[in-house]
Amino acid sequence: MDTFLLIGITGIGLGALYFLVASGLSLIYGLMGVLNFAHGSFLTVGAFVGLWFSSQVMHVSNTWTFIGAMVLGGLAAGLFALLVERIVISRLYERHIDQALVTVGIALVVGAVLAGWFGNDLRLLPTPAWFINTVTIGSAHIPVDRFLYIGVALILLFANTALLRFSRIGLVIRAGVENRQMVAALGINVRLAFSTVFFLGGFAAGVGGVLVSAYSNGVSPLIAGSYLIYGFIVVVIGGMGSVPGSFLAAMIIGIIKQYANYYSPGLGDFVVVFLLAGVLLLRPQGLLGKVKA
Amino acid sequence: MLRWKYSRPLLAILIPLLFASPLLGNNPLSHPGLQQTMAVAFLYGALALTYDLLFGFTGLLSFGHALFFASGMYLAVLFINHDVLVWWLAVIAAVAITTILAILIGSASLRTGGITFAMVTLAFAEAGHVVISRNFGGLTNGENGIALNADKVPGIFIGVFNTKYLFWISLGTLVLVYFITWWITESSAGRVFAALRDNETRVAVLGLKPARFKLLSFVIAAGMASFIGVVMLMVSGSAAPRFASSDVTIALLLMVILGGAITRWGAVIGGIIYSVASTRLQDLSQSTALHSVPKIISGPLSEPTFILGLLFIFVVMFAPGGLSGAYYYLRLKVISKK
Amino acid sequence: MNVLSVKDLHVKINESHILHGVSFEVPTHSVTALLGRNGVGKSTTLKAIMGLYPSQGVIELNGSSIAGKLTYKIAQDGIAYVPEDREIFSSLTVKENLALATRDEKDIARQELVQALFPELTTRAAQRAGTLSGGQQQMVAIARALVNKNEIILIDEPTKGLAPKLVTEVADALGRVAGETTMLLVEQNLPLVKRIAQHVIVMDQGRVVFQGGPENLHDPEWVHTMLGVSGGHN
Repeated sequence: MDTFLLIGITGIGLGALYFLVASGLSLIYGLMGVLNFAHGSFLTVGAFVGLWFSSQVMHVSNTWTFIGAMVLGGLAAGLFALLVERIVISRLYERHIDQALVTVGIALVVGAVLAGWFGNDLRLLPTPAWFINTVTIGSAHIPVDRFLYIGVALILLFANTALLRFSRIGLVIRAGVENRQMVAALGINVRLAFSTVFFLGGFAAGVGGVLVSAYSNGVSPLIAGSYLIYGFIVVVIGGMGSVPGSFLAAMIIGIIKQYANYYSPGLGDFVVVFLLAGVLLLRPQGLLGKVKA
Repeated sequence: MLRWKYSRPLLAILIPLLFASPLLGNNPLSHPGLQQTMAVAFLYGALALTYDLLFGFTGLLSFGHALFFASGMYLAVLFINHDVLVWWLAVIAAVAITTILAILIGSASLRTGGITFAMVTLAFAEAGHVVISRNFGGLTNGENGIALNADKVPGIFIGVFNTKYLFWISLGTLVLVYFITWWITESSAGRVFAALRDNETRVAVLGLKPARFKLLSFVIAAGMASFIGVVMLMVSGSAAPRFASSDVTIALLLMVILGGAITRWGAVIGGIIYSVASTRLQDLSQSTALHSVPKIISGPLSEPTFILGLLFIFVVMFAPGGLSGAYYYLRLKVISKK
Repeated sequence: MNVLSVKDLHVKINESHILHGVSFEVPTHSVTALLGRNGVGKSTTLKAIMGLYPSQGVIELNGSSIAGKLTYKIAQDGIAYVPEDREIFSSLTVKENLALATRDEKDIARQELVQALFPELTTRAAQRAGTLSGGQQQMVAIARALVNKNEIILIDEPTKGLAPKLVTEVADALGRVAGETTMLLVEQNLPLVKRIAQHVIVMDQGRVVFQGGPENLHDPEWVHTMLGVSGGHN
């Protein structure tokens, strides 16, 4: 029973990390039709800035250092994402395949630059002392960091939802996901919304980068790989353009993957792909996605 | 297109010359080292061509092509090493099973289109990569890969002295794939592929089923990729998980875009150059010339993907035709000057 | 005085030439009907004016050129667009649809006007627009154009696909709107056109073939040759 609970909560924690990557991917795709392969580099940029802050700027690894690393990592990744959108993506307006291709190029270049500067070895990210504590639920001892991931994901989910629901730019983004041309025909500059989703997506991915580094015990230019792939899978299963859909799908995938991997190592990825194939066959628009007109 | 009538005499000289070069006294290609490099490059050229059939000719942006390449490779090595089938039957079985796999994955993925299709194929391929690299079921030997058991295949496929045979087989594979692709793209099915890329609705209006032709293109490309995978197994002597990773598909994309997706020869040249260049750029990274440059510049420069990535971004944004596009542009200028 | 003037407008989409030099004017404070058979380029003309299709030619709003401008700037200049098939945001509420369109929130008079014209939209403010009936959706689309002070409203087939009872409702609404603003109306429903239009433009095969008053609409033979429909019943 305690193993069952441990795996379940670890799965939710993992799902939370997937969500941080997928939420941005989903909004960017939903609003702009851009398949963003550079999203992994946003995560990596966030992780390296977080590492720089907690090891070079601060010299104590306490809670505040870690929060600072998350915020700064998120901001840096958000700004980087904003630059990518302004300088590169916006020049390829409505050329969706080229936009996807160019993000592949950006991912390659960012990976190469970071590898050239720092090498591909894992560098330890300082974490607060309480990271190694466990919380006892019943007889299960659950590492406390799992709850941190879940908490951060929930905060970003709520912040995201609130922004989309109650702000003017959120209204524009929701309308734009449905019908970009009509938003423009109402006299609204949709490009501001494009920049906003890139910044928000980059921010979430950057925060995710710091958390992923904490989870996998270090920072390297290669940490984003599997998270990006899982981010894509989450977006397809959850429904393109739906942030709650991404959250739901991320949780389902995180949990299923952990249980399956416990049953037999490596089985998790296999099950997830079967799930993906099933969703595509039975509900191609994803769990909470809408069929586009 | 480079018209057949212009390219025929060129190819008629070039191909026999390449085939003969390992035997023609002392020339660069009479050394096993370069023979090996070129054998790998020819195979990537062929693989890029199969990818071009999908992407350039049918307009399907697949991120899962590496899966079929690796599938052919792994199935063949498993059948051969475990004495399931004699080597040549193993090759046929590997290609046949991969083709069936492609039908299944293609049918599921093609329920979507455009960018979603890219995402979905990526997910399938990544699953394949994980299955291979995690040693799922204990068959694939995980990250270490599987060495081909030399006793179970004819001797000409093995050893440094026999590199020329591998060179010939690879070159032959490239020529074969080129002719199959040429035949398909010039056939009536190929015209439908091109029409699908340009305007899917028009194809549907003509009463042809777009989905079937897309699947056909997907399966043919996958089948050829699996055969190239089998040959790569012979050339490299082992099957390894890196052949299944999405990096391979991304490399294919680079090859096709840099070479120019609009032509067959562009993809082949792109594949060959990329393959050779990524080995050569690796050498450059170890060169002493970079030592005097500060690390902030020399670091990225020592990574082959840095230059290739920048070049790729440049081509996508400013020169969509790639190498072959530039060639036609220049030729057009020369012609219009006359 | 003309609000909108279009001269020699050409549109090509995917190699096919759709508009071959369209020219016409829309006079101030009037309803101008843009008529013609299906596929002659009426919707394309409206989209080209909105900057939704690339075009060549002159498009002037109150004498200044808007050709080649970005769609959102054209809209800000004072052209509202009610597209064919309405294109309301179905996942947004009625209120959100209108809020999105509102450029000047302080213009209370405008908002009151819209509320007076479409009281039903106020009672259904919190409902998702996608769950409204076709007629109500059309009201949202028209209201979206009216919440701003515009120079002209382009309306594309507002009664298309509506049940007869709803056609009357939308027609009444348009009749009331007609007094408030300049309108360029694409419409197949001739009785509606006869009721509210002061000017008529007829297009055929990507060109304007008639521009003038609405009197001819009462001549069944003219209607039959120009529009290919029998215009006998009124």
